[in-house]
Amino acid sequence: MRRGIAPRNLYIGLGCACVLAIWLSLALGPVSLPLGDTLKATLRLAGLPIAGTGLEQAELIVGQIRLPRTLLGLAVGAVLALSGVAMQGLFRNPLADPGLVGVSSGAALGAAIAIVGESRFGAVPEALSPYLLSICAFVGGLGVTALVYRLGRKDGQTRVATMLLAGIALTALAGAAVGLFTYIADDATLRSLTFWNLGSLNGASYARLWPLLVVSVAVACWLPRRADALNALLLGESEARHLGVEVEALKRELVFCTALGVGAAVAAAGMIGFIGLVVPHLVRQLSGPDHRVLLPASLLAGATLLLFADLIARLALAPAELPIGIVTAFLGAPFFLYLLVRGRS
Amino acid sequence: MPSRLRLLALCVGFALSLPLHAAEAPQRWVSAGGGLSEWIVALGGESKLVGVDSTSQHPASLTRLASIGYQRQLSAEGILSLRPQLLVGTEEMGPPPVLGQIKGAGVQVEMFSSAATMAALQGNLEHLGRLLGDPQRAEAQLASYRQHLEQRQQWIAKAKAGHKAPGVIFLLGHVGAKPLVGGTDTAAGWLIEEAGGHNLATNEGYKSFSVEMLAALDPDVIVYADRALDGDAALKALLKENPVLAATQAARNNRVIALDPTLLVGGLGPRLPDSIDALSASFYPDAAQAAVAP
Amino acid sequence: MLNADNLGVRRGQRWVLEGLSLQLRAGEVLGVLGPNGAGKSTLLGGLCGELSADAGKVTLDDRALAEWAGVERAKRLAVLPQASTLEFGFSVEQVVGMGRLPHRSGQARDAEVVAAALAATDCAHLQQRSYLALSGGERQRVHLARVLAQLWPDQPGKANGTLLLDEPTSMLDPLHQHTTLQAVRTFAAAGAAVLVILHDLNLAARYCDRILLLEQGRAAALGTPADVLQAARLKQVFGLDVLVQAHPELGHPLIIAR
Repeated sequence: MRRGIAPRNLYIGLGCACVLAIWLSLALGPVSLPLGDTLKATLRLAGLPIAGTGLEQAELIVGQIRLPRTLLGLAVGAVLALSGVAMQGLFRNPLADPGLVGVSSGAALGAAIAIVGESRFGAVPEALSPYLLSICAFVGGLGVTALVYRLGRKDGQTRVATMLLAGIALTALAGAAVGLFTYIADDATLRSLTFWNLGSLNGASYARLWPLLVVSVAVACWLPRRADALNALLLGESEARHLGVEVEALKRELVFCTALGVGAAVAAAGMIGFIGLVVPHLVRQLSGPDHRVLLPASLLAGATLLLFADLIARLALAPAELPIGIVTAFLGAPFFLYLLVRGRS
Repeated sequence: MPSRLRLLALCVGFALSLPLHAAEAPQRWVSAGGGLSEWIVALGGESKLVGVDSTSQHPASLTRLASIGYQRQLSAEGILSLRPQLLVGTEEMGPPPVLGQIKGAGVQVEMFSSAATMAALQGNLEHLGRLLGDPQRAEAQLASYRQHLEQRQQWIAKAKAGHKAPGVIFLLGHVGAKPLVGGTDTAAGWLIEEAGGHNLATNEGYKSFSVEMLAALDPDVIVYADRALDGDAALKALLKENPVLAATQAARNNRVIALDPTLLVGGLGPRLPDSIDALSASFYPDAAQAAVAP
Repeated sequence: MLNADNLGVRRGQRWVLEGLSLQLRAGEVLGVLGPNGAGKSTLLGGLCGELSADAGKVTLDDRALAEWAGVERAKRLAVLPQASTLEFGFSVEQVVGMGRLPHRSGQARDAEVVAAALAATDCAHLQQRSYLALSGGERQRVHLARVLAQLWPDQPGKANGTLLLDEPTSMLDPLHQHTTLQAVRTFAAAGAAVLVILHDLNLAARYCDRILLLEQGRAAALGTPADVLQAARLKQVFGLDVLVQAHPELGHPLIIAR
């Protein structure tokens, strides 16, 4: 009669792990900084008047490079995990993943159009150029998801099974289009495209971070309010309706939150897989399927895991960097297999 | 006495200018770009390099340096951990926010051109010469490079007078398999034209063609670069994986030539004149033999 | 209470349910019987709003069903479908607790109601178990506890909801078939109106105050068990030869196949 961990202990455990991950993310890196310097620099950045000399390098590394990167990792990890929970609730299946509604493949298509298009046709206004990739990825993700949602609508009702099939078909179509862009790309563009598809938290800066932060905070505040309704949805759509849940509105919200959140995450950091699939699974083992605990716990777990993955990405091949999508896949896939094997017995 | 005073003044002047020189020439360099790295080595700056990117594979001694990864996906902190004073690279360096972070940390970032033109090469060499604190050497290198190329062009012009330019196809493959054809705007295409050949490919970039199509084009010469193998092993692998090619004139007349793929990246590199020599000699074997014959 | 007035439901060109008029009364258990395809589940669907009425109308407490907002309707109308597709490992307590979703009654009250509902369906000993570890019959009883919790009266004996049950005993062993229907009767006695679809004629005869017999989408009979369950009619509707006798101790009709 395994009942899992009590919510309070779970939050404490995950909270500590998250704080540890944040600290390690600020303290460790290819440039070795004395821990004391890192601590002082961090406190200074937080606005506290700390005395000390020779902290310029620490402040630069921590403030300009590691801190934005940590914030990016927190936001991306949190929003991907939350979207995973939302999709597993929408499809009422623990194997669901945000990509099922097409947001990932749509974002990949948008990115391909931006990368290949810019190199072929150029002529993008200077001010827009650094944001072009993110904007195209975001629009692509939202666009394909909107299409999947629209295809799943019939007579004012959203049929989840139809959405699933539409998602599969559109993912394949987007993949074919990306393939075409890959074909017409030259060598250099091809490598850019490849690296984008592997995901990276590299080059995080405050200017590019804030749209994602806004979206993450919005999703993180909204979804937990729907925890009860999500629980009821797991009973079945008609059962949830009989319990007074506005099921159509809920489905629309779930799709929208996922599209927005994953779209923003992918626009900021490229394709990072497995977090949306594995984190909710892992947390559900510890907390049970009750969304009132699952959602906040997944948020913490997703953020923490991504920061740990980023540590590996930054340190494994220093001074070069491993794309973080590779790390999450290498960690996520075997872990998933382990869960499957354990679940069988 | 006046001459000794002059000598003293000279020494003092030189001694005073030394620290100025040392301050001008940065000592710890990171290079992002295979072509640039080769030129730095050619101009005698190898000892200054503390890190290079993944495309800097020639000469082989560079692979022993710390690798900063792919030039378009640099890591700010990674580069800063090498405590460089200077980062050199082409416009292909990136991502842009990372370059900003590196600049912000006080590292000098110098941009070079990756265009495959003599004007770009001249600009690059002059720039490098200044940074290395030895502009004369750079000038000398440039002059001899130009001369070498010009002489070869004259030879080619003479050879062309007597013979038709051979139809050439450039193939890029991996252990002989899935060869890509070098199109009109590639470095490979440029090499073929410079060496006096006629590039039969009409596409842009490196694209895969069906082997039948290649055989139908029936080139006089095939130039082949293999990512995994060198020299004869590469040529054997190409013909083994693509037996249809054996029907081409090039294969039948044994005019399949191997090329080092590292020559294709990074604009005009130091080894280029030699490879143009070799290519043009194989494009016009009669002229080459006539030149050798007493 | 829930009323259907000349309710009709169409599927394509065919009328699956036609001319159904029905009034569910507080304190009463109405059983719905009929052969497969007679329209029982369609009737349930029409009554709870799952299927829209193609003819006639359905009203809840004198207001059209469609006009009720989700939460308000859920406080007065609870539906137990035939099968559940829940595949997540909630605890039994959590599953039953979902029935309290329409109410904003606070944790303490919810816990009370959940415990009472579990006791009513003889599931108290399952409270902390994982739903996925239960047998089919146990799961069915847990869902019944959930819908009871949904309509549980604020004060004892003052239930005023309508309960629609679709074959709540299909997977239960004989003992629990009876204890469950007895719990349903008790709930009705506290003031709820109950409609229950059953396959077992004898269970219906024993536990229902009125019976609606459906045949090909139309009401073949509506009345007390004694009135409705007569051999000739049962032969006509079910095609089964039966003997109808009075239960030796309780007096309700006992249907015996010949």
